[in-house]
This record gives sequence, C-alpha cells and structure tokens, in this order.
Amino acid sequence: MEPKTTRRGFLALAGATASLAALSQLRALPAQASALPAGSFFSADELAIFGSVAERIVVPGDAAPRFTQTRALETVDRMCTALSPPLTEPLPALLRLVEYGTFVFDFRFARFSRSSAEQQDASLRGWMESRFALRRLGFYALRNLSLLAYYAQDEVWPAIGYAGPLQDRKGAA
Amino acid sequence: MIRELTARDGDLVLDADVCVIGSGAGGAVVAAEIAAAGHRVVVLEQGPHWTSSDFTQREDEMLPKLFEEGGMRQTADGSVLVLQGRNIGGSTVHNLCYAFRTPDPILALWREEHGLEELTPQAMEPSFARVERQLKIKQIHEAELNVLNRKIRDGARALGYSGFVTRHNREGCIGAGYCLLGCSYDAKQSMLVTYIPKADAAGAQIYACARASRIEASGGRAQRVLGQVIDRHGEEGASIEVRANTIVVSAGAVATPDLLLRSGIVPNPQLGANLHLHPSVLLAGFWEEPIHAYRGIPQSYYIDEFIDLEKNPHAGYVLMPISGFPGLSAVNLPGFGSDHFASMQRFAHMGGLLVLLHDRSQGHVAPGSDLARPELHYALRADDAALLAEGMVHCAKVLFAAGARQVVVPYLPEALLLERGDDLAILTRRGVELGKIALASTHPQSTCRMGDDPKHAVVDAFGECFDVSGLFVADMSVFPTSLGAPPQVTTAALADRTAHHILSRLS
Repeated sequence: MEPKTTRRGFLALAGATASLAALSQLRALPAQASALPAGSFFSADELAIFGSVAERIVVPGDAAPRFTQTRALETVDRMCTALSPPLTEPLPALLRLVEYGTFVFDFRFARFSRSSAEQQDASLRGWMESRFALRRLGFYALRNLSLLAYYAQDEVWPAIGYAGPLQDRKGAA
Repeated sequence: MIRELTARDGDLVLDADVCVIGSGAGGAVVAAEIAAAGHRVVVLEQGPHWTSSDFTQREDEMLPKLFEEGGMRQTADGSVLVLQGRNIGGSTVHNLCYAFRTPDPILALWREEHGLEELTPQAMEPSFARVERQLKIKQIHEAELNVLNRKIRDGARALGYSGFVTRHNREGCIGAGYCLLGCSYDAKQSMLVTYIPKADAAGAQIYACARASRIEASGGRAQRVLGQVIDRHGEEGASIEVRANTIVVSAGAVATPDLLLRSGIVPNPQLGANLHLHPSVLLAGFWEEPIHAYRGIPQSYYIDEFIDLEKNPHAGYVLMPISGFPGLSAVNLPGFGSDHFASMQRFAHMGGLLVLLHDRSQGHVAPGSDLARPELHYALRADDAALLAEGMVHCAKVLFAAGARQVVVPYLPEALLLERGDDLAILTRRGVELGKIALASTHPQSTCRMGDDPKHAVVDAFGECFDVSGLFVADMSVFPTSLGAPPQVTTAALADRTAHHILSRLS
C-alpha cells in the first residue's frame, strides 16, 4: 500500500500499515517555521514537534527544568543519529502523524503543537491506548526516547535524588 | 587481531578453518577454544568493539551502543521488550553476572524428552569447569550485598521463602553498580575481557562492524559466509566473504534463526520456532528512606521458592532484585505526565523485584523488513499468565516484607499503586495479558533447538545442523526448552562442548 498524505491516507496508515517504515513517505508534508536549529537527525520543525510531545510526556512542574529548558532535544537527536537507520527512519514521519493526526484521530482542527495541554494529553492517551499496535508502538517510541533523554540531563538529577556517574572510571575526565 | 571495520575499508575475502558469527557467550568461547588449538578462526561481529574506556555510565550514550535496536527491540505486537547485546562480547557486556550451571533436572529433561543422552552433569563437567575458570566465577559474600539485595533477602526470610546469595563472574568489583551499561573497571568478567582476548592472543581474526547476511552451502556442506560492513555509525561499506568448511552461528536466539532463514539452507520447520523468552514483570517498591539501589552489585540474591525443577522441570518462576538508572527506571514506570514525574521524584527510594517465568509459552522468529529488525512473535499461555500473576503477588509480598511502603505494578496504560495492607488478590484477579502490562525479556532462547530428531530439532547434541554438514549453532538458540535459570554459563558450556567436538573433527 502506498501511503498518501490525505485524510484518507492517514486513516489507511493508522489502521492497516504493517510497519512504521512505511510512514517515512509522509516526510513530504510541509515543514513548519521553527526557532530551533536543525539537528543531525531531525529537522528544526521535527524537533519542535518532538519538543511539544515531550513537554507532555515529562511534566516536572516547578521541581525540575522543563524538557525544552534542558538539552534533552539535542540528546534525542544524538541518540537517533547513533541508532541504526532502519530503526529511526520512521520517526520524522511519526512526529508529523502525531502533529497532524489530531484531525483524524481526535476530530480536532488544531495541530498537536497548537492544542491545549489537556487536548495534547488526550491525544497522547489516544495513541497509548489505541487498539492498533502500530500506534501504541509509535507512542512508546516517542515516550521512551523522551524519558531516556530527559533523565540523562545532569540538571534533572537533583530533583530525583540520583548521584550520577562515578568519576573514577576509565576514560573519565 | 581485533579490527573494527569502517565504511571506507575495502572488500574483505578471507579463508578460515572456522568462521564464527557473533562474539557473545557462545561465539567467543568457540572462537577462543578453536583458535587456541592452532586453527585459523575468523569472527564476524555485527556490533562495534567498545572497551571499558567507552563505558561512560550514562544511559543516553550506552543504550544505543550496547543494545540491539538501542534497547527498544520488542515483539511484533509491542508487548514484550527484548534486550540483547550488539557489540564485541554480546550480551555478556551488559548482563548482571548471575552465574548458574544448567540445573540437573533440566539436563535430565533434555535427555529424556529430547534424546540428548550425552548431556549428563558428568559429561558437561569439563565444559562447566573450563568456563568457570575462565570467567573467574565465585561466590558473592553476604557483605557484598547492596542495600536493595539485603532488604529483599530480609523480606524473603521474614516470609520463610527459600533464597540464596548467588555466584557471579566479577573480579575486583568496586560496586559502582553500572554493570548494565558496561563495566568501566573491567571487573565484570564478560567475554570482552576473557574469551575474546584469549581468542585474540591465539591468532583469531576478530572483525567488528561485520554483519553476516547470508550463509551458503554446497552439496549439503557449509561453504562460505557473505556479509557487509555496517560501521558504528550505521553506514554501509564493503562486502565480506569468508570461505570456511566449518561455520558456527552464535548471533543469539533472534538473529541466528533470522540469518539461517534468510540463507535458505536449513529447510527445517523447527527453525525459528519454539521461542521462549523467560518473560519478566518488574514491580517497583518505594521505601520511606533513600536506598540508592543503583549502587553496589545489582543482583546478588535469588528467590527460588516458587520453582522446583525436580518436581516440575517445565514450569515455575524465580524472583530477582533489580535496579536501574533514571532513564530505564522512567521507561519501566507506566504512563506519562505529572504522575509519572512524581514517581520519578522518589527514584532514590525505589528498588525493583522482578518475577522471571520459566515459560512453556512459545513464539517464533521470522525475517523482518531488514537484517536489523527480525520479527518476534510470542503468545502467552493461560497457565503461564496465571503463574506470572501469582509471581507478582509474591513480589509484592516480598517488597512489603522488605520494608517498602508502596509498590507499583506496571499495568498499562495505568499503573496500579499498592499500599501496605492492600488485598494483593487484585493481581490474580487482573492477571497478566500481553499488551496490558509491561513485560521484558533478556533471555530469548530455543529457536534452533537441540535434539536427536530432525522432526523436532534443528541441531544435534553437538550443535550441528541436521541439514547442513559443518554448520553449527552455539548460542541460546540451541536450548531444547526454556532453561529456567540465568543462561550465561549454560550457553558458554554448551559452546565449549561444541568447540571441542569441532576440534576433534578438525584434528
């Protein structure tokens, strides 16, 4: 099945695509303006979408810096650069599906990044609880990347009581 | 010689007596034993060659380096996370060093139900002894238990549950606690610092970033391995050809059947079937006081109250303490948002206990869209699901008896928070269903199982394929059944046995 960038195409993808890899065709969607610089793996607008998703995955309140106040986006970009390309190729398309999928999955005419926090949470919950394994896999890919990257930030560790790596290891500065 | 290939290297054509694919608990042993006897050995490892100076103790840097699919490999339906190594040394570089011999009742089961008459404890003794000597396996002393393992031990004792302090393969351990991310101190006696250097010293040619993509046979006999350089950045490079009459596949219970299926030289319906996972569920306990469970030896106590292989070698479960670092702990806690962060704020108070199932359930491995992503399919039998649920009840009991104030059960999408005094029967009522609770596996096995009958097995008692002479398998794929115990020593000992069988043939 050839993915289409139409509403019908989205529906078909959500329901029947057997592999996230097929979603890579969706990269043709128009990019959004963003103040973020492009990463090695993600474009600037993809990083902006990732940031808006991750801000709802990790909600630290006042206890720790928010996701986008740290270098977690850079960490995500670096991790995806380090992973094998077949594993990461679908991620840009997945991000766009989250961003624009609100039209299809949530019946709302606002992109994910321009929705309220409550709407964003509801949208992510829809992904997490979807009866389609592909959507659930997509959610967990973004969730797990967000969590791994956020909790890799040294400035977050005091809020959770983690002392961090030891300094006497080989190769340590 | 250990050489990591880059995308700029030219084509590689090599001749060898033995070509070994994979360098983990099986492949490293085979390579070292055969090279030490003076034969020409070529090892192809698809992952890079990291050493202790690369192990930064940071999850964001180490997970993509050490694990297949960056630690995100899952079964096809996303219900079970499967962790496997992809580097020189394989999973032994990130494992937690439990060092158990194959349980005698399991060997008896393999003899009685799979026709492996020669697999007696006595026949296996020389292999166990060699492996244990090389890996410096020793008893962990009570004084070496970290806070979490001490608490779990005390909780188990308070409940009257059987358990013990285990043996491990560490030498000069300082208790940093970062075993899962690679040992920065070379204290873990993984293949990376034991058998791989032995193979190297004996003249084996060990290539990292060398992915085998096809094995060819001619006239029913193994002939050559074809592959390609995939460098540490994922860039594709030159082609690889290794001509050898003996080929040993030790790529693990996922990649080994995938490679053999893709090669199309083993027309055996058992190939890729019979996948066991030792699936596990991790319950997180939260203590009033910080316990910093991530420091010290992560796993040193083992609760075997609920497995009696003498009475029933087919089923049971064990309970194992487990701790993690912030990222992995966060991934293991269900959900997202402010509630998730609130749980993470108590990270230093958190310690885990997992139930690991000796599973009768089975699945299979099928080739995926590319070599990096084979497909794993697994279904959980109702009786196994019930055992896992029962094990979760006992995990919670032990955690509370160990002093935990709260226990989080990783149901999806909403975790279940248990308070001391809650009725734990809720766990057996809710049960375990794939996709509705976080499950993980670090021990995929049995996809090229060993036996005496090609109708039911892929390889014989020495790991040689029934269908192709000179083609061997030496990894967890060959276990005829679920092992029911940590697999490192069994894998290495069976590989040692395979190596000495090959040596007898070469000489």
